[in-house]
Amino acid sequence: MIRLYMAMSLDGFIAGPDDRPGQELGRDGARVMNWGNYRMSDGPDGQVFREAMATGAVISGRRTFELAGRWQGDHHDGVPIFVLTHHVDDGDVPPGSARFVTDVADCAELARAGAGDRDVMVHGAGAAQALLRGGVLDEMEIHLAPVLLGGGRRLFDALGPDHIELELIRRLEGRDATHLRYRVHRHPAQNEK
Amino acid sequence: MGSIVLYMSMSLDGFIAGPGDTKDNPFGTGGHRLHKWLGPSGEGFRPSDKPSRTIFEEVMSTGAVITGRRTGDFVGYWDGDHHDGVPIFVPTHHAPEVTPPGDVRFVTDGIGTCAEQARTAAGDRDVLVHGAYTARECLRARVLDVMEIQLIPVLLGQGRLLFDGLGPDHIELALVRSLESPNALHLRYEVKYA
Repeated sequence: MIRLYMAMSLDGFIAGPDDRPGQELGRDGARVMNWGNYRMSDGPDGQVFREAMATGAVISGRRTFELAGRWQGDHHDGVPIFVLTHHVDDGDVPPGSARFVTDVADCAELARAGAGDRDVMVHGAGAAQALLRGGVLDEMEIHLAPVLLGGGRRLFDALGPDHIELELIRRLEGRDATHLRYRVHRHPAQNEK
Repeated sequence: MGSIVLYMSMSLDGFIAGPGDTKDNPFGTGGHRLHKWLGPSGEGFRPSDKPSRTIFEEVMSTGAVITGRRTGDFVGYWDGDHHDGVPIFVPTHHAPEVTPPGDVRFVTDGIGTCAEQARTAAGDRDVLVHGAYTARECLRARVLDVMEIQLIPVLLGQGRLLFDGLGPDHIELALVRSLESPNALHLRYEVKYA
């Protein structure tokens, strides 16, 4: 299963304005991650966090990867990290278990193989949009934060005119987020592939 | 005193209408998807599942309506009767020369006044807010008490956003109820102004 994990405000933002190194979640954007304060709990927040950390591979967008300081090559437990990017500089070898991939379908295939019988965790808006467009995202775990951020970076932006049908398959009420798990239903055109 | 409540169907990616919403096509291209939870329109909009019916009945038991000029014009002010003949308040800069039928009141001295008049008219009952622009104006003026969002399990991909250009100040919410139905997740948030 390839599953997106992202915290999002009710107005659709995953970070405040001006996200950059040193201010990775944008101005005041850390608000959307408040639920993470309860990630070690026995409750729903802890459950969701443990599930994310039990994944067997990570897919990240290039921007998220760089903002996160390339996770020093280890997102969690040394699982392989596949970084979607348009361009790789000669001699730029990412650290640890990370590697660059330029094709969405290849990336999904490599991550599935790398994860074995475990799930794949996706992180970042760019990666999410690319995988959705490529029809290879299976599920989304959205941590919906009870706040209107008012501005910043949107999770879903300019996805295009085709509707993507979802199915809510689980809802967990956390301390500062509603954890919504959606199954992504393939667009009919993608089913034929 | 009742609450001023926004009821709005929104896709997970934040849209309340498809692109190209006009008077002839008020939901925009493909925007009908967002209103499937209401049931087939041919049967006069009656949701079949219990949670959705609960929401629908709440809407229909409000004691006044605030609607934006754009939304109001699109739907012809419901011929002056949204439900049970409750008064319809329209915040606007200029009242039209031709007044629509029924109890439609154009309020030209600000959203605050409009909200106050609607509250008074509704008495103990809630006030229903219609329209994205008006919802945002109510938020900015800090008169919106509750948002009842019908979160629809679809990515619409484009169209008209509910929350757009609200500005840098966070508005904290408290989730006070969530009801799951096959076609919508009904999320009721109280607005907590700082």
